[in-house]
Amino acid sequence: MSCRQSLTAALRQCQSGVSQQQWRALSTSAPVAAVRHIPVSTNRAKRTRSSPNESLLGLLTEGLDRGSQLTPQQESEMMEQQNGRGGVVRDLRISATTDSYMKQMPRRWRTGEVYAPKDLSATEMSKWRTARKPKQDIVDMLGINPLDNYRNFSLVSEFITPMGRIKHSLETGLRPVNQRKMAKAIRRAIGMGLHPSVHRHPEIMRFSKASLPQSAVPSASSQQNRL
Amino acid sequence: MATRSVSPGGALLRASRMFSLPNAIPPPPGDAAAGTNHTRSDTMTLSFPTHQVITTLNSSRKAGDWGLKRPLPLKSTTKSSNPMLRIKAIDTIEQITDFTSATDHGITLRKFQELGIPITARRPADGSKDSSPAALNLPQKSVFESDIDKTDIPPKQRVDTVDRRWKFTGPWLAGMTQGEFDKWLVKEVRPRRRAFRRFLKTKIAKDMHTAAMQSALDKGEQLQADPVDAESVTDDQLIDYLRMLRHNNQDLYDMVGRFLDLAPIRPPSLDTSSLQPGSKVDLREPSNPYAEHGPPVTHPSAGLSYLRTSMYMENHPIYGPQKDHAPVQARVLTPRRPAQARPAMLGVAGFVATTPLGDTVSNIRSTSLLDKVDPSIVGGGKVWMRVQKASVDSEGRMVVTLLDASLESKLVAQELLGEAACLGVQRAAEARAKPESATDIRKRYSAPTMSSAKGYGFGPSE
Repeated sequence: MSCRQSLTAALRQCQSGVSQQQWRALSTSAPVAAVRHIPVSTNRAKRTRSSPNESLLGLLTEGLDRGSQLTPQQESEMMEQQNGRGGVVRDLRISATTDSYMKQMPRRWRTGEVYAPKDLSATEMSKWRTARKPKQDIVDMLGINPLDNYRNFSLVSEFITPMGRIKHSLETGLRPVNQRKMAKAIRRAIGMGLHPSVHRHPEIMRFSKASLPQSAVPSASSQQNRL
Repeated sequence: MATRSVSPGGALLRASRMFSLPNAIPPPPGDAAAGTNHTRSDTMTLSFPTHQVITTLNSSRKAGDWGLKRPLPLKSTTKSSNPMLRIKAIDTIEQITDFTSATDHGITLRKFQELGIPITARRPADGSKDSSPAALNLPQKSVFESDIDKTDIPPKQRVDTVDRRWKFTGPWLAGMTQGEFDKWLVKEVRPRRRAFRRFLKTKIAKDMHTAAMQSALDKGEQLQADPVDAESVTDDQLIDYLRMLRHNNQDLYDMVGRFLDLAPIRPPSLDTSSLQPGSKVDLREPSNPYAEHGPPVTHPSAGLSYLRTSMYMENHPIYGPQKDHAPVQARVLTPRRPAQARPAMLGVAGFVATTPLGDTVSNIRSTSLLDKVDPSIVGGGKVWMRVQKASVDSEGRMVVTLLDASLESKLVAQELLGEAACLGVQRAAEARAKPESATDIRKRYSAPTMSSAKGYGFGPSE
C-alpha cells in the first residue's frame, strides 16, 4: 500500500484479501461460503473485545500490516470507526461484497427486457463482458462522410488503437467503402499534423483524466512520478 | 368448416404442423448500440418471441412425437417439466429439425397472466409528461378500447383515424437515424414525387370547388354541382400552392404525412425568434397516444394479456375485500449502485422494471435488499412490489410500472405462502386446538338416516 492511498481504499483492498484467505482455509465448495461466514454484529451496544468485531479488527490490522506500518493517527481513526460509528466497516464490507458480485454480472439491464433463468447464468453473463464487433455500419447509420470529419479528433480516436494504428474493419464493423474513407481521414489527420500518430489526442486524454475519480489520478507529488 | 370443402389429404396437410406453423416475425429492432463495440450477447432472450411456441402431450413426447416431420431426440426434449419448443426450421439441408427450448417466453407469458393486469396504452401527450408522478395516478386506457384499437381500416378512412391508429405504413421519423432517413428519402420518397404532385392537384381541385361553392352561397346564386377536375389544375396554380405550403409547417407536414402515411410526431418546441419573417408557425399537438414515443412494432398489447381493466377488488376469505391487488415478489436483478449512478433494476414476471418513481420507500437509501447483493439468500434477493400498470413501448418491450407494496397487503400475501403469521393463521390454529367432544365426532361421521321418513322430516317427532 502506498502511503498516499486513502484508508477506505486500503480497507477494501485488504478485505478482499481476507475473504480469499478465509475461503481457502475452510475449503468449502463455493466462494459464497466465505462471504456467508463474515461475522456481522447487529447489536451496536455490545462492541466489546469479545464481540465478533474483534476478530474483524484483528483481520483488518493483519491485512494492513502486510502493506505498511499504521501511523498512530490512522490507528485511532480505525478504532473510532470500530467503536464510535460502528456500521461503517460493516457497510464497507457489504459494499465490497456487492461490488465483487456485480463484477460477475456485467449485463446492464434495460427496462422491458425479458429474462429467463438462462440469462442469469454465468455462461450468459460472461458473454456481456467481451466487446463484440458492431453489427451495423455506424457511418451508414449516422449518414456522415468520414473524409469531411478528419478534423474531428474524437471521431479519429475512436477508430485508432491506443498505439495509433488504424483499426481493422473486423473491429470497426464498417463496410469496405466506409473503412477506406475512414482510414483515409485518419491518415489525412495524422499527415496534416492535426492528430498524434502514436496515441490518442491530448484533448481526449485530458477529458478522460478529468472524468476519472480523484483517487485514481496520481498527483504530481506522488512517489511514482518522482522516480 | 373450411376443411370440409377440401380433400381428406388436403385437410390433413392443412392441419399439420408443417402448414400451421407461421413464419417468424422480424426480431426486435436494434438500437444505436448495434453500431458500436458495446457488449452484448447473441443468445440473450429477446424482448418478444419471434417464433411460435409448440407443445405436445406427455405420451407423445415420450415417443418424440411433436407432430413434425421426424421424431425429435428424446434426450433433449423429455427432461423439461414444461414441454415447449420453438421450431426454427422444420427441415434443413442437413436433414435435421432445428429446434430450441421456448420455455423462456412460454413461462414468461404464464407468469405475466398470473399478474392479472391489463395492458394500457400510453396516455396521449396532453402537455403533462408521461413519467411525472401526477400522470402516473391518472386512470389508464386499455389498448383494446375500440376507439384506439383500429386494425382493419379501409384506405379512405386512414386520414380520419390518424389520431387513433397504431399501425402506419410509413416510418416514425423521430425514431430514425440520419443515415436511415437519407436512405429512406432516396429510396422511398424521391420516386414518388410525381404522385405527390397529383395528390396536391386533387387537394387544390377540392379546395377550389369548396371556394366556388362558398362564394356562390354568399351571393345567393344557385349551387354549382360539378366538381373541379384535378387535371384542369395548372402547373402555375400548383407552384403557388407549393410556395404557400412551404411557409406553413403544419399544413406541409399534414399533406406529406397523409401522402406517405407517416406515424404522427410530437412537434418540437420551436424558438420563434430564429424563424424567417413571414413564416407561419402553428404547430398542432397530435392526440395519438403513440406520437411521443413512437408506434409499437407489435400490437400494443403484444398478445400478452387480453384483460380490459384491473378496476376490481380482490377478496380474502378472512379479511374481506382488499384495498390493493395482491403484491408480487420482484427479483432484485441489479442493486442500486450510487457510485456508478445506476438505479436498482427489478424483475417482475420475467420483465425488467425500475423501482417506483418519487418519494417512495424503495427510494430511501438504506441497507435493504435494493442496495446490496446478499449471497446468503438462496435464490437471490426479492422484494414485494405491487404492479400498477403495463404498457408496450415502441420497440416492443413491456414496461411494467411498479409501486411499493403496502405493509398490510405484503403481510397477507406472505401469510398465504406460509411465510408470516397473522390473524388468519391464529384463527386456524385456534380452530385446530379446540377440543372436540365425542358427540361432535360421532355427529361428523354418522351416516344420515335417509332411509326413514324421519330423515326427510316427515316422521312423528319423538
